[in-house]
Amino acid sequence: MINIPLNRVEGDLELHLELDGDRIANSWSSGIMFRGFENILRGRAPRDGLVLTPRVCGICGTAHLLAAAKALDMLCGVIVPDNAVMTRNLTLLAEHIQSDIRHGILMFMNDFINPLYQDQPFYSEARLRYEPFRGTSVIKAIRETKKILEIIAIVGGQWPNTSFMVPGGIATTPTFNDMVGCDYIERSFTGWYEREILGCSLERWAEVTSLADLDTWLEEKPDHTQGDLGFFIRCARMTGLDRIGGGHGNFISTGLKDLQPYSTRAVEPLLMSSGFIAKGEKFEFDQALIAEHVAFSRFEGYGSGLHPFEGITIPAFDPNPDKYSWAKAPRYNDHPAETGPLAEALIDGDPLFADLVRQQGPTAFSRELARFTRPAKLLPLMKKIIRTIDPKAPYYRPVGDIPDGRAYGLIEACRGTLGHWLEVQDGAIARYQIITPTAWNGSPRDANAIRGPWEEAIIGTSVKDPDNPVELGHIIRSFDACLVCAVHFCTRK
Amino acid sequence: MAVNLYWMHCGGCGGDSMSMLNAESPNIIETIHELDINVLWHPSFSFAPPADHRRLLDALISREVGLDILCIEGAVIRGPENTGMFGIFEGKPKKNLVAQLADRAGIVIAIGTCASFGGVTGAGATDAVGLQFSKKDIGGFLGKNFRSGKGLPVINLPGCPVHPTVLMGMLTAAARGVSMDLNTYNAPLEYYSMLVHQGCTRNEYHEYRIEETDFGQKGCLFFHLGCQGPLAHAPCNKFLWNNRNCKTRSGVPCNGCTEPDFPRDDPYFYTPNIVGLPIHLPDGVNRPHYLAYKSMAAAAAPDRLKHRKTEV
Ligand code: SF4
Repeated sequence: MINIPLNRVEGDLELHLELDGDRIANSWSSGIMFRGFENILRGRAPRDGLVLTPRVCGICGTAHLLAAAKALDMLCGVIVPDNAVMTRNLTLLAEHIQSDIRHGILMFMNDFINPLYQDQPFYSEARLRYEPFRGTSVIKAIRETKKILEIIAIVGGQWPNTSFMVPGGIATTPTFNDMVGCDYIERSFTGWYEREILGCSLERWAEVTSLADLDTWLEEKPDHTQGDLGFFIRCARMTGLDRIGGGHGNFISTGLKDLQPYSTRAVEPLLMSSGFIAKGEKFEFDQALIAEHVAFSRFEGYGSGLHPFEGITIPAFDPNPDKYSWAKAPRYNDHPAETGPLAEALIDGDPLFADLVRQQGPTAFSRELARFTRPAKLLPLMKKIIRTIDPKAPYYRPVGDIPDGRAYGLIEACRGTLGHWLEVQDGAIARYQIITPTAWNGSPRDANAIRGPWEEAIIGTSVKDPDNPVELGHIIRSFDACLVCAVHFCTRK
Repeated sequence: MAVNLYWMHCGGCGGDSMSMLNAESPNIIETIHELDINVLWHPSFSFAPPADHRRLLDALISREVGLDILCIEGAVIRGPENTGMFGIFEGKPKKNLVAQLADRAGIVIAIGTCASFGGVTGAGATDAVGLQFSKKDIGGFLGKNFRSGKGLPVINLPGCPVHPTVLMGMLTAAARGVSMDLNTYNAPLEYYSMLVHQGCTRNEYHEYRIEETDFGQKGCLFFHLGCQGPLAHAPCNKFLWNNRNCKTRSGVPCNGCTEPDFPRDDPYFYTPNIVGLPIHLPDGVNRPHYLAYKSMAAAAAPDRLKHRKTEV
């Protein structure tokens, strides 16, 4: 048995492993920090979630804000103006893109400068590119992601942690000139992304629809091998990332079909569909089938899974060795499911990723490839939104007092499916449950003792040096782990 | 001489590290190079394997490697029942490591409101506090008498998240040994003696008391929508955010995230009042005179403001 703390994930994670020789025979993923939000929101005013929930996570606060606002919209039964829907989504997409790039370049790629790879042909170049705070790609990624975030500041005040979305729309009123700024930033970012990350145009990349296409693309031009994407593909293949990190093969995504839920002026019908995939078969998404288990989580037990509307979160103080994580175990129709850019692409029927998974199964490589290339899909959509927003039309529809009742907001955050479930009683929050993407991916075992997605994904992996388990780093980071947000807001009962 | 810096995450959301990446002129890269800062460890960006990290910690604790600057992001989790087991590192409470490293550090900087005062994490049920304050009370985790190697209390840089310009400025002061004058909450006066309200583009509306009663109207957010700009100490309207804008300018009420009592119990987006007059008036004003002044100001309001013709 060995214990391994993992850095370069947001928050604190330790893996407990049982090794058979150098292969992982069994694994336990342990969220080792509990921030105990259960008392924060209970009893507060319904709109307070708009200020407090973005503080769950410093990287995806805009996603939390959107989920919180959508839950309140539902409670009010308000039709949000098109302008507000578009502006909210514009900021969500900007946040996705910043996160995809920062994760890829600042947190994922520097595993390739691990001392274990010293003799690999890519090592010295990887070091030049990805050394923290010094690497050439690092410096550029910091500069460019900072720019794309300016869009959120222009229309929403600041990033991280603004609260500009409110039930009924948004509190801000972006002007024509604001859109000019957004337009410019999107164009210049796209130029950089094409030049430095893809090494080709968005259009050329869109033609890559199979594993064979990917190989052709890679060999086509030096630009393709030299971009960060090409470099990633080469390193990943040399280190066998396309052979590790499988998992259950279950995927969940709420899609991006909410992009224009109430629209009268079509931006684009819909970008990505929602659903659940088990063993290659796709099912309609139904939030009623979500439940959270605590059999192996450090919370007081209840029989089996509870839907978040019924969720309770009481930390268990007695040291029960079976309970090994401060994260709960969300399940969809009793199945664990992974979520994130790969799940999104598969559920949306993206041909490249469907082919990759058909031929290789889900891997650390396919997950990170999906993340690196997601901006190629999102940037054109951002442009459309920016040019469709009409600064003279309303951004907000007054809603007055928030009525009592239950509602939820479900969206795709940068790391995958995010849900807020809210109950308001007598004008105050009675219950607030959040299920984050990392709660899905990094969950411990459930009441049926079934492992969570990344616990499963590392089974069978060979770890050459337990003091330097770089293989595990690749796999866990391919899920873009964010432990700070695998926490719970709820009522203590 | 290189300046050694160790960055630690405790009970927080990681937002301060993200905010740090948004710094501009100087940005984080320039700051590190210019000041010859040697980032021994940052949990989000360092690539050393866990065993090397352990060796580094041992070397810092045995003082074999000097620790010039210790940056702590997030509140120190003490619960349950002072065991610290809600926040663990290598199977032991992380708070022990905080105490050990703080004891070795030349200067300790609390990054963000959680590390400074407890913040949002402190409002939870894990008995989490700031390094040297628990909300407004001095003491916190390290105690009232704590002094770092350079003889300083913990320097607090509140903000949820910290403003990146403030962070770059303070890192520069720390690396160059420049002393900063501090306010009662040990935050540098240069950044925290001003109010968020100063420089807001809605000041004209505030001055003549032309108010927003609901979102999206042009006006000031103070009297109805809960803006804490006139009470919160921070340079948001001087440095702006993302080099571009800030919440109050764009129409989002300030929620006072730099204050020791953030998050307050009052509802957000609402101004608690007695017969239409806010309970919390701007920092330090004389209540009767302020009210008289405001009603005169409202009477003097020009038409361009009354009719919301002036852009914000
Ligand atoms: S909106 Fe807030 S910060 Fe701006 S003028 Fe009004 S009170 Fe001041």
